[in-house]
Amino acid sequence: MTEANNIHKDVPCTFCGCLCDDLIIEVEGDRIVKNTNGCPISKERFVGHMENRCLEPTVKGNTVTLEKAVERAVEIIMSSKRLLIYGLSSTENDAQREAYRLAELTGSVVDNTTSVCHGPTILGAQESGEATTALAEVRHRSDLVIYWGANPAAAHPRHIPHYIRQPGEYIKDPKVDRKIWLVDVRATTTSRMVDKFIKIEPGTDLEVLQTLRALIRGNKLDVSEVGGISIPDLEEIATTMKTAKYGALFFGLGLTQSWGRHRNIDAAIRLIQDLNAHTKWGLMPMRGHYNVSGANKTCTWVTGYPYAVDFARGYPRFQPGEYTAVDMLARGEADALLNIAADPVAHFPRGAVSHLMSIPVINIDPKFNMTSQVADVNIPAAIAGIECDGAATRMDGLPLYLRKVIEPPPGVIPDREILKMIIDAVAKEMK
Amino acid sequence: MTEHIVLKNGTIFDPMNGIDGEVMDICISNGKIVESAPAGAKVIDLKGQAVMAGGVDPHSHIIGSKLNVARLTSPESNRHHPYPATKKTRSGVAGIIPSSYATGYLYSAMGYTTVVEPALPATKALGSWEEIEDIPGLDIGMLPLFCNSMISFKYIEEGDISGLAAYIAWTLKKVGGLGVKVVNPGGTYAWAYGKNVCGLDDEVPEWDVTPRTIMTGLSEAVQKLGLPHQMHFHPTNLGKPGNVYTTMQQLDALKATKPSGKKKETVHLTHMAFDCLGVVEEGMANWKDVASGGLTFADYYNKKKHFTADLGQITFGPSMTMTGDGPFQYSLYMMSGGKAKWSNIPVDVELPGGAGIVPFTFEPKSAANAVQWVGSIEFALSIKDLWRVFLSTDHPNGGPFLKYPLMMSWLMSKKQRDIWLEKVHKFASERSTIANIDREYSLNDIAITTRAAPAKILGLEKTKGHLGVGADADIAVYGFIPEKTDLASNPDLILKYFTQTQLTFKGGVQVSKKGIVGKQLQSRVISVHPELNEDLDRRINSELEEMMSKWFSHSFSNYPVPKRYREHIEMPTVIDATSIQA
Repeated sequence: MTEANNIHKDVPCTFCGCLCDDLIIEVEGDRIVKNTNGCPISKERFVGHMENRCLEPTVKGNTVTLEKAVERAVEIIMSSKRLLIYGLSSTENDAQREAYRLAELTGSVVDNTTSVCHGPTILGAQESGEATTALAEVRHRSDLVIYWGANPAAAHPRHIPHYIRQPGEYIKDPKVDRKIWLVDVRATTTSRMVDKFIKIEPGTDLEVLQTLRALIRGNKLDVSEVGGISIPDLEEIATTMKTAKYGALFFGLGLTQSWGRHRNIDAAIRLIQDLNAHTKWGLMPMRGHYNVSGANKTCTWVTGYPYAVDFARGYPRFQPGEYTAVDMLARGEADALLNIAADPVAHFPRGAVSHLMSIPVINIDPKFNMTSQVADVNIPAAIAGIECDGAATRMDGLPLYLRKVIEPPPGVIPDREILKMIIDAVAKEMK
Repeated sequence: MTEHIVLKNGTIFDPMNGIDGEVMDICISNGKIVESAPAGAKVIDLKGQAVMAGGVDPHSHIIGSKLNVARLTSPESNRHHPYPATKKTRSGVAGIIPSSYATGYLYSAMGYTTVVEPALPATKALGSWEEIEDIPGLDIGMLPLFCNSMISFKYIEEGDISGLAAYIAWTLKKVGGLGVKVVNPGGTYAWAYGKNVCGLDDEVPEWDVTPRTIMTGLSEAVQKLGLPHQMHFHPTNLGKPGNVYTTMQQLDALKATKPSGKKKETVHLTHMAFDCLGVVEEGMANWKDVASGGLTFADYYNKKKHFTADLGQITFGPSMTMTGDGPFQYSLYMMSGGKAKWSNIPVDVELPGGAGIVPFTFEPKSAANAVQWVGSIEFALSIKDLWRVFLSTDHPNGGPFLKYPLMMSWLMSKKQRDIWLEKVHKFASERSTIANIDREYSLNDIAITTRAAPAKILGLEKTKGHLGVGADADIAVYGFIPEKTDLASNPDLILKYFTQTQLTFKGGVQVSKKGIVGKQLQSRVISVHPELNEDLDRRINSELEEMMSKWFSHSFSNYPVPKRYREHIEMPTVIDATSIQA
């Protein structure tokens, strides 16, 4: 719904997992002219929403009607034996729910981008649980915030200024009462913003985490340094962590996807659990795509599992490494791909992409991306949170209602509507 | 879909209308039970079958972030329990924490038609409404948590019960809640500081409130609003040996709240199995000395009439503990020697400290587990008034709701109890009076404690929990001849017949037959919308805008659940609370 004066307040941003919902979006005619409060990326996403748009459905590069494109998509789906449905993290929850229905109906595999970002985080949590925190909770209480293997200044530009470097009910002066540290392997934009930068050697995250656990438990170590940090320095870090009133650990792909992967996360979780014997700590992954948390959530309630789900037997099975998109492609198992709101050609390893190029691809996305260059069928979609409504989940689990602030381009409909058309046609074929 | 149905010749158990095993016809028209159906109504012969109202479950965790965190962190709970799709129904998993569709189907198959999620973080309610879209076949209610919220504390600290009531009213309307849930008042908040509370007058960090002022303040606010369901209460000291005494103290403290309407009960004590552990004579409050508190609590229950209770029966085997009681969950993790998967989920402003989740296996050979198991059974068999109690496992805490038939068998069959007493640790017999109890629940008793009483406790007795004219046509038909089936001597039959109904009707629509769901019905949401007078409404809007804008990390205007998710499924009951002065 557009408001009378065409100024929309409290609009959630649909770029990263911060889901900042204080944007003021101004619309003039069919253009978004201003985004107040958003970070530079957010401004670009809203004001530039018409850039690089795919406006018409195509089959093999030729412009067709939406109905024809859906018809061809259904042909591909019906003739495939092992369809892979992938993406979903940059769209709203209802589209995801339709994707699971299609996967179930066709006995396919459905996976979201988690498998190439925080998949190991989930595996770590499956080993050890997860003692999380929440963003306002951190603002009110946390006197020590640690970023580990994350560069929020670049990837989550308002994480620090909007949520962390803000006064809270019990942290009156965020610059004095709250310390922000960064653990990373190199100096970054974030390292210049923090109170303390702890530079560790690449590939030593697991050792550093386990050392901290040992020191927090009061164990003595017979080495002089770990990960390039001297034991006395690590002891000081451990002591500060133990004596914080409320600590929060935000970690990024630098921890999740580096050497050790889910073992790193497992160790980080156990470190936080250990610290709770002394004081209060929680941790949180810095989720990238704005609704990848939502993709995990919807997939979990509908299928029981957060990603990498196979419906070949008529019920959901979960097996990361087997039903994850990269593995399905790299093994040459998928014989067709339905990609929704993601760009696997740009992000997947070469082996997976080379198989992807050899199979029919249906691509649903608002914009041209690298996957649309190789797709047999391209169907343009409305941008969720700008051109259609829906719900998404913030990195700490808070659900937010996304706004429609402007009409989509003529003839362009939301992901969920496109998927419903495909489902209806597939159901008819299967009767 | 047939709009009019006559169910002929069934043997009816409808305790709310005083019917105990009589052969009668039931007429259904447009989803309701009516006096007579028009000519041409579909006739279904239920000769030789037992008929009850649809089951009502006021305490089962089936929705929300804690459930999703549990599923996400414990795929092994569901891996070996697939639930395949059919032409008419969706697939899922059906272990101890079933997926959404399977949850709806499994309840339908068991003859349950109304379920309440008893722990809703209101600020996350949007996600719950989305989830309900995928849980078919039920009427669903949700109880928002108010017990550790900074906003509640502000009103309680100021002794402003009108403000507190208005905050509750505002929240119930904005997110579609049914009542007020209280979990470890002050204790979960203290957990944000790594602490807990245990005594009624313990300090809560940063605030001039105590467990006593929080629980009494909230119960008074509930009465002031005239909510149909009394305050739903999880006390402090959950899961601690000897807590039956502190639970009774807390219930005593709540006795000061005067009922505002006809209903005498002002508090519902939930999952008593976890709240009413005793200790042996001259014993200490530790696990070594734990004894059943069932009889002690039954005596108290028989004397004091201001509260209702449910069992929270533990059922042995794997379970998933999840409560808004963060420090309790942490203590379970510590009991595992720090080995268990411990999850903790704080919620901005409303639940600092956070809810917790720990997978847990109740072992028959564990003395502590056996004693806890026997306590709630001893209680249920020692109380006089069954109208103030309902059966629950606090799904999935004491075990999944799929084990309700097993719980029923322990109550309905002395033989079954004796079989199980052989299997479990001897303390179950030695530290309780169970061996001397011959009482067996009748079918009428089961109908009271699984439909009629819970409907009354929720304040839904007009339309739920009975088969009289005007009730919703939510009906469970069980495939046995009550007159000829000796369930007490054949406990396996209890499991067989109560796990799968012969037929289940929801709102006059047949949803399942012999446990197979053939009709996927959109669930509805039961909520309460208290109307405030203009002055109080204006006041609460401005005060909440100020507090929420200051304390939450998202915008005030994005707090309510938008109509788009609600209007097609919500059935709000508007109640008049305009007499509350601003």
